[in-house]
Parts: sequence; structure tokens; C-alpha cells
Amino acid sequence: MAGSKVQKIDIPLFMPRSYMSTEVNKTGSWRFLRPRYDEKTAPCSAACPAGEDIARIEMLTTQGLFKEAWETILKENPFPAVCGRVCFHPCEGVCNRGEFDTAVAIHVMERFLAETALRYDLKPLLEQSPGKKEKVAIVGAGPSGLSAACFLNRLGYACDVFEAASEPGGILRWGIPEYRLPLPALRSEIARIESAGVRIITNKRLPADFAVGAKGNYDAVFIGCGHGRTTMLRIPGEDSSGVEDGLEFLNRIRRGAKPPVDGLSAVIGGGNTAVDVARSILRLGGKAVILYRRRRQDMPAFQEEVEMALEEGVELKELLAPARIVKDRKGLLITMRPMKVAGEDESGRGRVEPAGGKTQEFRVRRVFKATGAEAVEEWLNPPGRQRNVLLLENCVLVNRAKGPAVVFGGDLTNETKSVAHAVASGKAAAIALDTFFREGFKAVRSRLKSCAVGNGKALSMEIYMGGERRLRNPHVVRFGEINTDYFHFAPRITQPRLMKEERLNTFKEIDLKISANLAIREAERCFNCGVCNRCDNCYLFCPDLSVIREQDLVGRHVNYDYCKGCGLCVVECPRNAMTLEEEKR
Amino acid sequence: MELNALDQEFMHSGHVGCPGCGAAIAMRFFLKALGDKTIMVLPACCWSVIAGPYPQSTLKIPLIHSAFETGGAVASGVRAALDMKGDRETTVVTWAGDGGTFDIGFQALSGAVERNEDFIYVCYDNEAYMNTGIQRSSSTPYGAWTTTTPGTDWKKLRKKNIVEALVAHRIPYAATANIAFPEDLVRKAQKAKSIKGSRFIHVYASCPTGWRIPSEMSIKIARMAVQTNIFPLYEVEDGLRYTINYKPKEYLVREYFRLQGRFRHLTDKDLDQIQEMVNEDWELLLRKAGEHA
Repeated sequence: MAGSKVQKIDIPLFMPRSYMSTEVNKTGSWRFLRPRYDEKTAPCSAACPAGEDIARIEMLTTQGLFKEAWETILKENPFPAVCGRVCFHPCEGVCNRGEFDTAVAIHVMERFLAETALRYDLKPLLEQSPGKKEKVAIVGAGPSGLSAACFLNRLGYACDVFEAASEPGGILRWGIPEYRLPLPALRSEIARIESAGVRIITNKRLPADFAVGAKGNYDAVFIGCGHGRTTMLRIPGEDSSGVEDGLEFLNRIRRGAKPPVDGLSAVIGGGNTAVDVARSILRLGGKAVILYRRRRQDMPAFQEEVEMALEEGVELKELLAPARIVKDRKGLLITMRPMKVAGEDESGRGRVEPAGGKTQEFRVRRVFKATGAEAVEEWLNPPGRQRNVLLLENCVLVNRAKGPAVVFGGDLTNETKSVAHAVASGKAAAIALDTFFREGFKAVRSRLKSCAVGNGKALSMEIYMGGERRLRNPHVVRFGEINTDYFHFAPRITQPRLMKEERLNTFKEIDLKISANLAIREAERCFNCGVCNRCDNCYLFCPDLSVIREQDLVGRHVNYDYCKGCGLCVVECPRNAMTLEEEKR
Repeated sequence: MELNALDQEFMHSGHVGCPGCGAAIAMRFFLKALGDKTIMVLPACCWSVIAGPYPQSTLKIPLIHSAFETGGAVASGVRAALDMKGDRETTVVTWAGDGGTFDIGFQALSGAVERNEDFIYVCYDNEAYMNTGIQRSSSTPYGAWTTTTPGTDWKKLRKKNIVEALVAHRIPYAATANIAFPEDLVRKAQKAKSIKGSRFIHVYASCPTGWRIPSEMSIKIARMAVQTNIFPLYEVEDGLRYTINYKPKEYLVREYFRLQGRFRHLTDKDLDQIQEMVNEDWELLLRKAGEHA
């Protein structure tokens, strides 16, 4: 249409624009599975007789929070400097990392933390219950007695510890050689217990009727005198001169003596005492052969100790049981009967029986007995099953009609005789007595059960005292529950040691210190099974922005208004600190 | 890189992505890396739905929904408009699915990068047309079930190598990224932001619904795609310089395939064949990166 005017129409530009967010859609209603934070129990902490919160200790170490890590040990064990050295670390045997590459060197970390605390003279800040009126007497300042005193003190009880020797420590002071446990380490731990308010009275041997006579002065007595006398071999010639008690020998060395050990000595037994005796003989210039009636792998002594002993030159003869000892002009002639393996006992240790055949004779200067020990006096042994007696894990509580309650603990009651079990014994006694005083005899067993770590045998003082650890799920995390995609293979730390030649003429500590750098690197190998270390995978991978980090950056929570329950946070949690469960609405 | 430093969120909760959606995770990481001076162009894809129905938006940054085939063109236009306004600060990002990149939007993308338009093109790849009902795309991998490759007619053609197609345009920056490797992804997004010209990032984003996998496995499977060499992490500068960012543990591809319902029908023989294809691709990549196998 030429010439006609084009009419201009003003068409408004219309672009629809959103003006609200999607937050009106409460997508949480889609959810049929519900994630939640659910910290669980690490296998190491359940296997530790003292129930140490190892996963958390390693986490704090990784973060460089050495004091906090050390305090976390102290909550459950007053002897980190000791246990870091002499514990048989059952924790490492069950470490989930062992199925990945090699177990975390937990005992090395423990020792490192204790050393660090000692070096910087750190003072722990631990929770302390208000004072109570009851008083407790403790017989024996060994690891179990001191632990009982330490934990009772923390629960608010005044404690007096009576010790027959001139210095507290028991086996730690008088039985374990200095090259494994140097004196300053032990003394610093005992000093800490004393400074918390525990009174230790040394050079005080108590009579058998002490517990009866203690009425009025004390409301309870803990007896933890340990096994100080070596058991008899029950063979002819055992009382000849030159046949010595292994424990007594170690004791003499720790008192500062240098007993003569010239020539070859035979050590009978396969426990740590036997190995300690043999290695001490070497250090005093003698030679030693260990005669053991089972095999090397059956020895209760720690494998590492055995290995080092052999390296240093101790000889080991297996499957030989002593038959008789004859003393003549040239010294001692010990006759050994060959044994053979006949099956296994419940713990997988070889069972042996006489093999018959030719006996073997060893010409030696001395024989040291180290075949186990027993209580020095009969009254120290706990009573058997009775109505007023509670046979507990690692201790025995006797509710006597007259006089104070009595708890037997330490080696007197423990099936496994170790420092960690002694600590466990002291802790069990402290919890049992506190419950006994506050809630009565009948409440004791169930109360102890309620503070078990992962429903196992170990008890936790932190749980008993109502700490955060009580919120942990008792489920023990398995290797299959760890998301190993987040971990890389890394070699376990090699404990630096004195060289063999450096060890032989001195009682200097063999294991050397490690640097903080190495300690952190080793701690980083820990999966922290079941314990949140705030890695933030849950937060990062949430497609719905429903993992909320709290202001303090410590807490995390799920915003269930929007969480669709996809489960990514739970699966991507490297350490199984979350749980996905059915939504019950 | 400290991911904790990227605390700010540029997304709202309440979006309507499926539980465990890899594309939602990809978007979250990208926006954390790019920041709020970003305009996003969104051709039809899952994210057209995820972003919310009108008048809602789940993003805290401006977002333009556009037609399926126009990702490259609209971004060019937005860039031009910003330039006219004198705004050189804002980053323009096209956020497209594999359908909008490999198939329908390929022409516009190819045209835009040939002109070296200054924008980042992100393809989040869930390997089929997911929101319309799991139809196969040219990104669907060999062996996969989709609703258009059902039963015995599973896809018997290779997945298109989109990064190589883009590299052939000699663009300044092309890279692959994966939601299971957030540090790598964030680094690449920030690197792309710092470069001028056409940048292309191919992001692996798992899809629990379309792949027939449990929602909680979407990161695990994404990680395995890298660990098995099925989806290598690498970047190419100026179409020439290859860098492989992650040397995988050489896991077998069958581990990856076994976890997914969409591959359930594959026999051991098929999986062996796929393994060979993956090995071949990996060796080709090594050669390009000058790291002869």
C-alpha cells in the first residue's frame, strides 16, 4: 500500500522476571531417608583397656592442639608417658588403617604428646567433681593404686596412698628397666597426680588387718599391691644358690645396684620380665639365654621387645621346660625337657605338652626365674563369688557388713597383667566406689555398664562424668564403613632408636623422641573412625545447601526443611560420623 | 586450595533438582568460584527446571532462560550488551546440558567460539536428555540404556568427544572437570574467569535418576569415572598445550559400570571391549599431552 501511513504501535517489551527465591519449596517433604550426625566408636578406643578416645586424640594432634590431645588422654589414663612407652598397644592391632596399609603408630603419638607436655611443663585442665565427704585408703602406689587415687580424686574423694617402698610407682619404678621407662617420665606423671591432691605415704607397709581397722578413718580401701613374688618352678634344685628371682633382680638394678652377671645366665619364662631380665644381663656385661616352654610367637612378651633382645644378642631356645637344676663346682647345670605343640588355647596361643625324647642340658652361672608372679601375701588375694562380692572386669568390690568397703584391683584381679589394665582397674574401682557411695551396692554393675566404650570391656571416665563422649554411638566402626577414597597410602612412622651398639653398655632409653612434624604426619594417617574432624565433605557435596555450618564453625546441622535425603553427606563422610536412617514422620 | 575460603553461597535451597543431583552440585561449586559478578545464560536443559518455576529463581545472580539451540548466540549478545554499557567486569556464562551442547546447541556454540566471543561455556554433562525422559544424546556413552535405546538396542555408538571438538577451534581455554573433585573444578572455573575469549568447561555431573543409581552414590560414581580413565581430568590452552591434572589409579572400568543400572545388560565381553576403548582414548590423550604411554 504505497503512500499509506504506517501506524506505529508501541509494543511494550515484556520479559517475565522472577522475583522470589525457591525457598518457598520445602523440599524436605520429599525425604524418606534422613541423614544425621552420629559420632561412633573407633575400634582402637574400644580395644584400649583404658578406653582412651584415640580417634579424637589423633584428630587434635593433626590440628597441632597438643595440649588438648594430651588432656584427652588424661581424661581416661593418668599415665600417657608410661603407656606411650610400655603399653602393649592392643589399639594398633585392631586399627582399621591396618586393613588399608599399616596401623597408625598410636603408642608413638601417645609418647610424643606426653613428652611435649613434659617439655613445656603443661598443666592439664580436667573436669573435677565437687568434694565429697568419704575418704578412701589405697594400698600400693603401683599403676592401679595411683590410677584409682587419681580418678577418685577427680570424682571428689580425698585419697591416701600407702606404699611399702621408698618411692611410689610399683612395677613401673622397681620392675621395668630404665631403658624402657626412664625415671623422669614416671616421676612427672606421679608428681601430676600428687599435685592434684592425692597424698602418697611411702615406706609404709600395712598389716593384714588394715582394712578391718581402717573403719572410722576411711570409708573404703583399694588394695592394689600387685604380684611381687615370682612363682615357683617346682623342680628339684630350685633353691640352689645362683637361682634367682627375675623380678628381684630387676628391682635391685632399679635400686641402683649392679648385680654380678658374669658368664652365661639362663632366664626361664617368656613374658616381659624374662625379656627385661635377659636384656639387663646384657647391659651389665653378661650373656643370656631365654628358655621358654612354648614358641616365640606364643610369648606374652611384646614381639618388638623380643626382636630387639635377639638383635642385641640374647639367645632364645623354644619348646623347653625346666626339669631340674644341679649345682656343682663349675656352676649350675640346668636340664630342660623338650616340649611339643598340641593344639591351641582360646586365645590362639600354642598349647604344649612333653615331647618325650632326649633332655637338653645347659651349663650356666645363674638361673633367673621369670615365669610369672603372685601376690606376696595371702590376704592380698580377692575373695571368690559371694553374695556381698561383685566380681567386676579388672576389679573385685567387697561390700563388708562391718568396716569400709574393699576393692581389690591391679594384678591381683586382672586376667591380663599390663599397665593399661591396671589403669582400667583403678578407673573401674573409682566408678564402682562412687556409685556404691551415691547409689548403693546394687547399682554398681549397671552403672559400670553404662559407661563402657563401644559396649566393650573398657570404661570411660569422660562418659561417667557426663562428658560429650557419652553421646557417641557405641557402634564400633568397621573398615568397610570408612570411605577410603579420601585416604592415600602413607608409610607408618619408623620409631627412631639407639643403635644396637649404643644400647649394650647403658640403660639409656632406646626409643628416641620424634619431632612435632613427624607426629602430625603420623596422626594424619588416622582415619578418625566415627569422629567428625570437620572435613566439611557433608557441607561441600550437599546439592540442596542443607548442611549448615554454625557460627562457631564447630557445629554442623542438617536443615530438614530442604534436605531431600539423598544420602550423599553420609556416603561421602570419610569416617562414618553420620548415619542415614528411615524417615519416620 | 582452601575450599573453606569459598563460604559464600549463590544458590538458594528449595530448588527442584532430584535428590543427589550432580548438576546442582556443579552449579554450586561454579558459582562459589565465579562470584556474584556473573550473568548466566541457560538454554533448555535440566537446569531450566531446577532453577525453579516462574516466578521463582534458585540463583542469586541474573539468569536468562533461552531457547535450546541458542546458548552460544545469547551469550554473545549478552556480552555485547555489557560491552556497550562499559561493563567489563561481569562474566557471562552459558550453562548448558549435554543435549544443548553436543547436539542442539552445537551450531551456535561452534559459531560463537569461532568468533572467540568472550564468555565461559559450561556444559554439565549427564549423558542424556534427562528432564524430558532420558533420551539418548550424542553424549550418551557406548553401552548405555536410555528410553530411546532400550533393551537390546542399547547405544552402540561412541560418546562424542566434545572437548576435542572445542580444542579444534583453538579457543584459549578448554578443560574437563568433575563434581567429585571440587578443588580441581573450582580452580578451573577461576582460571577460566581470568582468561579472555571463549572458554569451555566440560563438567561431569552424575544423574541418579537417569543412570539408575542410588542418589547417595552420585559422587562416588563421578569419582570413579576419573579413577577409571573414563573421564580424565585435563585442560588445554590455546588448543595446543595439554595438561593432565590427575593420574588415575587405573581402576578397571567394569567397577564403574557395575554400579549403574543403565549398564546392567552389559556382558563381560562388552565390558572388555569398553575397557579397550577407554584405554585407546587414554593413550590418545597421553600422546597429545606429550606423555607417551
